[in-house]
Amino acid sequence: MAADKKTKVLARQLFKLSLADGQVSAEKVSGVLGWVDKHEPRQPLALLKLYQNLIATELSRLNAVVTHAGPLAATALGQIEQALTKKYQRRITATARPDAKLLAGLRVHIGDDVYESSASSQLAALSV
Amino acid sequence: MSNVIEQIEQQIAKLSTKAVKKNTGHIRTVADGVAKVDGLSDVMYNEMVQFPGGTIGIALNLEQDEVGCVVLGDVSQLKEGDEVTTTGKLLSVPVGRALLGRVVDALGRPIDGKGPIASTETYPVEKIAPGVMARKSVSQPLFTGIMAIDSMIPIGRGQRELIIGDRGTGKTTICLDTIINQARINKVGLASGDKNFRPVYSIYVAVGQKQSNVVRTISALEAADALQFTTIVAATAGDNPANQYIAPFSGAAIGEWFMENGMDALIVYDDLSKHAVAYRQISLILKRPSGREAYPGDVFYLHSRLLERAARLDGKGSLTALPVIETQAGDVSAYIPTNVISITDGQIFLETDLFNQGIRPAVSVGLSVSRVGSAAQIKVTKQVGGKLKGELAQFRELAAFAQFGSDLDAKTKATLDRGSRIVELFKQPQLNPLAIEVQAAVLWALQKNYFDSIDVKQIVTAANSLRDFLITRKSELLTTVRTKAALSPEIEVDLKAAAEEWKATFSAK
Repeated sequence: MAADKKTKVLARQLFKLSLADGQVSAEKVSGVLGWVDKHEPRQPLALLKLYQNLIATELSRLNAVVTHAGPLAATALGQIEQALTKKYQRRITATARPDAKLLAGLRVHIGDDVYESSASSQLAALSV
Repeated sequence: MSNVIEQIEQQIAKLSTKAVKKNTGHIRTVADGVAKVDGLSDVMYNEMVQFPGGTIGIALNLEQDEVGCVVLGDVSQLKEGDEVTTTGKLLSVPVGRALLGRVVDALGRPIDGKGPIASTETYPVEKIAPGVMARKSVSQPLFTGIMAIDSMIPIGRGQRELIIGDRGTGKTTICLDTIINQARINKVGLASGDKNFRPVYSIYVAVGQKQSNVVRTISALEAADALQFTTIVAATAGDNPANQYIAPFSGAAIGEWFMENGMDALIVYDDLSKHAVAYRQISLILKRPSGREAYPGDVFYLHSRLLERAARLDGKGSLTALPVIETQAGDVSAYIPTNVISITDGQIFLETDLFNQGIRPAVSVGLSVSRVGSAAQIKVTKQVGGKLKGELAQFRELAAFAQFGSDLDAKTKATLDRGSRIVELFKQPQLNPLAIEVQAAVLWALQKNYFDSIDVKQIVTAANSLRDFLITRKSELLTTVRTKAALSPEIEVDLKAAAEEWKATFSAK
C-alpha cells in the first residue's frame, strides 16, 4: 500500500529527529524505532520504508562508494576522501568495492552523483 | 615530429581518463509511459534524462522525494531499480532544410526509410515565444488556394488561424490544400527567378491520427509534388502519449528555424484536441490536479505557449500556424475549442450541414473570421471580393426566412439569387487549390454579372469552364493580374474581352 501524505510528513519528521549536528545518529535512530514500536502509528510498514529510504539517502551523501577494477592503493582511498570532503564541504568517508566488470579505472558514487572514469563506461559510450 | 605526436597522444590520454560527473537516480515505478525516479537531485525542469538502452525521457514533475519523467520510447524494457542519468540538455530536435521532404517522429528521427537526416543544427523543443519588440504586424498574404477563404477570411504570414469543425467536415483537406498551394506558388516563384520571392515551407504535424491517415496525407502530398517543400512530424495514435504531447512542439522548433533564418514557414497542427487529450493522460498519471473535463490547470498555457511561437519577425521570416480542433456535434463552446479560439487570430468553422448539402469546402461564413482582416489581402482580392462576405451573410439570413413565405419582393429574390450563385461558385474539389489570379478573374466575372444569366445548377460547370478558358487561352492576362496584384482600367478591359469571349463559347455549348 502506498504511503499517504500524513505518513510521508511523519517519516520526514522522524528523519529530522534522527540527526545530531547535521549527521545521522545511531542513538537517535534507535530512539525513533522505539517510538514507532511503542506508539504503532498508521501505515507502519510504509512509514518505516520511507524512513529507511531517507536515512539511506542521507548516509549515501556522507559515504562515497569507490568501485574499482584491479588493486586500489590505500592512499588513493584517502585522497578521494579528502578531495570529496573539500568539494562537498562536509566530512565524507570512502568505501572500496572491487568490481571486475569495470575492466579498468574507477567509479565513485556519492549521493546522486557518480564520477565515472572506467573503461567499461567509455566502451558503452562508444557503442551508442 | 615524433615529439608533436607524443604531445597529442598525451592530450588524448588526459582526456580519456578524465572523470565524467553524472547525476543519477533509480526508477521507483513505471506505469503508462511515466517513470517515477528517486535521486536526480540536480535535474532541471524539462531536462532530457537517459534510461538504460538509450531510451530518452523528460523530467516533468520535480517533487520533494521523486521526479516524474515521461518516457519517449519503449517502456517495456525498463524496470524498478534501473539507473537513470541526467544529460544536462533540454529536449532538442534536428532542424534545417535537410528535413524537407522527410517524415520524422516526435524527436526528429526519420521514419520514412530514406536514411539518416543530414542536419547539423538542433533547436530546443520548448522555447519562449518571440517578444513584442521582435515582432512585426501581419501584412503579407498566405494564399490557401481556396476561393472562399482567400476572398473572405484571408490568412497572413505569421497569423494563427484555427480550422475547427466536426469529424469528416474537411479540416485536414483545407490544410493539405494550403500546403499544396504553397508548393505550387514556390515552384512558380522559384522558376521566375524573382529575387524578392519568398517561398513558404510547410510542416505538417500529425497528432494522435491513424497511421493510415498519415500514409494518405503523405501520398496526397507526394502526388501533388508538394512533399519536397514539406516536413511531416508524425506522432500517431499508436505512439505513446508523451510523443503525442511533444510532436507539436518539435514541429514548432523545425518551423522556427525557417523563421529565424529569414524564411517563411507554415505549420499545421492536426489536431490539438487529440494533443490536449494526450496531455491530460500524462497529467493524470503524474497525479497533477485536474480541472474542468479532467484537463490539468495548465492546458490553456499548453496551447498558448505553442501558438505564440507563430509570428512574423522584424527583419527575419515568419511562421504561420493552422491549428486544427475537432468539435463534438458542432459545439464550439466546449473547453478546448474556446481556449484555442481565444488564442488564435481567427477561425474557419466548417459545418456538417453544409458539408452534407454538398457545399465543399463547408465554410460557415457567419462563424468564420480572420482578425487580421484585409491587411493580409492583396489589392485585387479586395477589389473583387470586398463585399462577398456581407452578401453571403445576407443570403443566409434571408434564405432561412424565405423557407416560410412564398411571396418575396424583387430585392429579396435578387439577394437570394446572387447568394445562391456565390455559394455555387465557391464549391471547389479537394486537393485542387486555385491560383490567386484565377480566383480574382472568376470573382471579377461574378462582380460584373457574367454568371447572372446562367442557371444556378450550371454555375459550377460555368466556373470550371471559365477557369480552364483563362488558364489555357489567357495565361498572359493571368500573369499580369498576378504580378500587378491590382485591377487597373487596362486589365479590366482585357478581362472584359476575355469574359465576353468565354461567355460566347459557353453559351454556344
